Amino acid sequence: MLSRLLYLNWKFFLARLSRFQSLVIAGYTIFLLIMLFNLMGTALVVIFLDSTPQYEIDLPWLTPEIHQLILITFANVFWILHFAFTSTRLLNIDENRKLLAYGYPSGRLSFHLNLMSMYHPVNVIYNLTWIVFLSVQISSGLNILWILLAVLINYGIIYSIKHRFLQLMEKRFKVIVFSILFIIFGTIQAFAIISRQTQAWLGDLSLQLAEIINFMYYLPGGLLFWSATVETDPIHTAIFLAIAIPAALFIFRDHYRKTLEGLLNPAVKKVEKDVSKLLAFLKKWLGPNAGKFYYYVMIHPYNRLQLLAIILIPIVYIPLLLHLEYGLISAILIPTMLAAVPVALLAICMANMFGYENRELLLHMQFPVSFEKQLKERFLGIIAIPLLIFYGITIFEITRLPEIGPVFDIYIANTFFFLCFMVVFLWSSFYQFQKASYKSFSFKHPIIPQKVTFTISFAIIILGYTIFVPLGDLQSYRLWVMIFLIGAICTYLWKNFEVLVTLYQKKILGRLWNML
Amino acid sequence: MEYALEIKNLRKKYGNEKLVLNNLDLSVPGGTIFGLIGPNGAGKSTIIGILTGLLSLDEGEVTIGDLPLNNKNELKIKKKIASVLQPPLLFENFTSYEFLTYVCEMYGITDEQLNDRINSLLTYFEIEEFSYVKATQLSSGSRKKLAFCAAVLTEPEILFLDEPFESVDVISIGRMKSLLRRMRNKGCTIFITSHILEVVENLCDDIAILYEGKILAYLDAKTRSELEKDVTLSEIFERYVKVHDVGEDLLNWL
Repeated sequence: MLSRLLYLNWKFFLARLSRFQSLVIAGYTIFLLIMLFNLMGTALVVIFLDSTPQYEIDLPWLTPEIHQLILITFANVFWILHFAFTSTRLLNIDENRKLLAYGYPSGRLSFHLNLMSMYHPVNVIYNLTWIVFLSVQISSGLNILWILLAVLINYGIIYSIKHRFLQLMEKRFKVIVFSILFIIFGTIQAFAIISRQTQAWLGDLSLQLAEIINFMYYLPGGLLFWSATVETDPIHTAIFLAIAIPAALFIFRDHYRKTLEGLLNPAVKKVEKDVSKLLAFLKKWLGPNAGKFYYYVMIHPYNRLQLLAIILIPIVYIPLLLHLEYGLISAILIPTMLAAVPVALLAICMANMFGYENRELLLHMQFPVSFEKQLKERFLGIIAIPLLIFYGITIFEITRLPEIGPVFDIYIANTFFFLCFMVVFLWSSFYQFQKASYKSFSFKHPIIPQKVTFTISFAIIILGYTIFVPLGDLQSYRLWVMIFLIGAICTYLWKNFEVLVTLYQKKILGRLWNML
Repeated sequence: MEYALEIKNLRKKYGNEKLVLNNLDLSVPGGTIFGLIGPNGAGKSTIIGILTGLLSLDEGEVTIGDLPLNNKNELKIKKKIASVLQPPLLFENFTSYEFLTYVCEMYGITDEQLNDRINSLLTYFEIEEFSYVKATQLSSGSRKKLAFCAAVLTEPEILFLDEPFESVDVISIGRMKSLLRRMRNKGCTIFITSHILEVVENLCDDIAILYEGKILAYLDAKTRSELEKDVTLSEIFERYVKVHDVGEDLLNWL
């Protein structure tokens, strides 16, 4: 029975793994391996530091305290990575639940799923990395027992916390998101203050190093690190085992019960009455089609998070960059970041324009209103709001940041930036269509396909550099090239507006008809 | 006789696959309830897809009302027709009330009686308690009933229903049938596809059997009255559609 279950889940794994995702997983594994080897190298340096006088000459700053700080910081950062990438969705409960209808005993299924999850490649990578990292630093042979149990308990606790965190997240989404953003904002500002008074802070830091290391020992990664380095004896080890083994059993019993509960009680959506006036408002101002589309975009939980990030990033970084002496970095980064704000909004709406509604679009096609008219209304509605923001930002740059460049140059550069991405998003909407998922924590991007996200991120940086890097005397040539390209893109879009309908019929309609 | 719908030599295939509709001819008289029955994969949904403008036809002619189905007449035809597809098409993030209002707006129906009409339909099908609940939270039966309400609200001349009774409870099926008869009596033509032969037999005036993309038999009211009294539609269906005799021996192990 277990072999069938394994086979089934292997099939699930392969079925949803596109070529691109395979590459991402392979790349991620390589990244972890590189990190592990780097870490082992650092660990070896630390271990042999005392016995190799050459290190003291070559790396005078690398005192034993600093070494310890590096290692314990790594342990804690690695724990955060472990926490972020281990997902309860790896259990694939929705699909595996179907086995209950074919006679798979529920208790055994729960047990087997937990076992399988522990041996999932993602978890194996992390747990093995922990074991290798910690094993390099053991004080005595007895620490091996400590490490094994600590890694096991750590894995179990991460799963338990995550399960409860996701439940809490569903209930208190807004409060949690605001708190996280507030913490990030505060941390960045704190770093900004520290970075402006580096000398004073570093002076204080060196005095407080021992206290910081001591504090970090009590963080999750630090506790794991401590399990490897603690000087122990058989009596203490026996006491530790007497506590840790029942604790591990208790945690895994919790997993077993929670999985069983999940298998037997599928999540049922609570029927809630909705009396939002947002839809009526959007329909009134943007038209029925664009209004409906914006409504779908605005109520998608992931978009609210993205919107907050889009607003927050320039608010945090631009004042920071303005505090620095205005130079090449600021000259490129500030306008790129500002130009990226309307582009990011455009991405939310346009990069997967049909993914929010899917089969519903067939109903739009049946209405006695020209479908071309409906699509045009949608397209114009989508670009209206980012365009308003685009103009707002351009006016802000012209009036408040004159050091960026002449008025005309800024306007042309921003327009070119906006138009280029509009074309990329149009391409993405038709050629990279996918059903927008409401899952915010799955490894698959919920709205925009991953490859498009990567393309956008790289393109923003590359295009930003190309457009905004100061060129001196050559600046006017670049300006003319941009004006020509703006003209070409606008003329093409204006003359081929029906491309919206023809591409829809070629690329989207067939998929919607077959979609259930 | 005036036909609400005429199809001549209709051919359709998906990509390089075999023909789904193979030189299909069909004429449906106006003001009747017409039932199209056929096994899975016969092409029933494809016909509805073509007639409602969601799929293009490869060859052939289609006339709806007195208008040939082409780009020029597309909007005029869409004003005359409404449909309920399988699975039903709803706006998942709209409440039932928002959805019905939206559909009416798209058909240009904005009179003062609209709210009363919507409320009466929701009450008739006992889904008024879901007026302010999003479609995504409705059960499959309620979804079907809501889609049916939307189609009826537009007061179409021709109503296309693809498996309208699937997942719907017995009481609501009775109400749907009663409403369809009332619409038929007012001159509306109703085109139904269904697997539930008893319902089709009981409700429809004319029935056609579709098999492998062709109409094998057309049973109008007169033909049906001439048939032996104790012959059921199911038996007629089996006469026309090749039922492969696989033999019960295959399942001797059971």
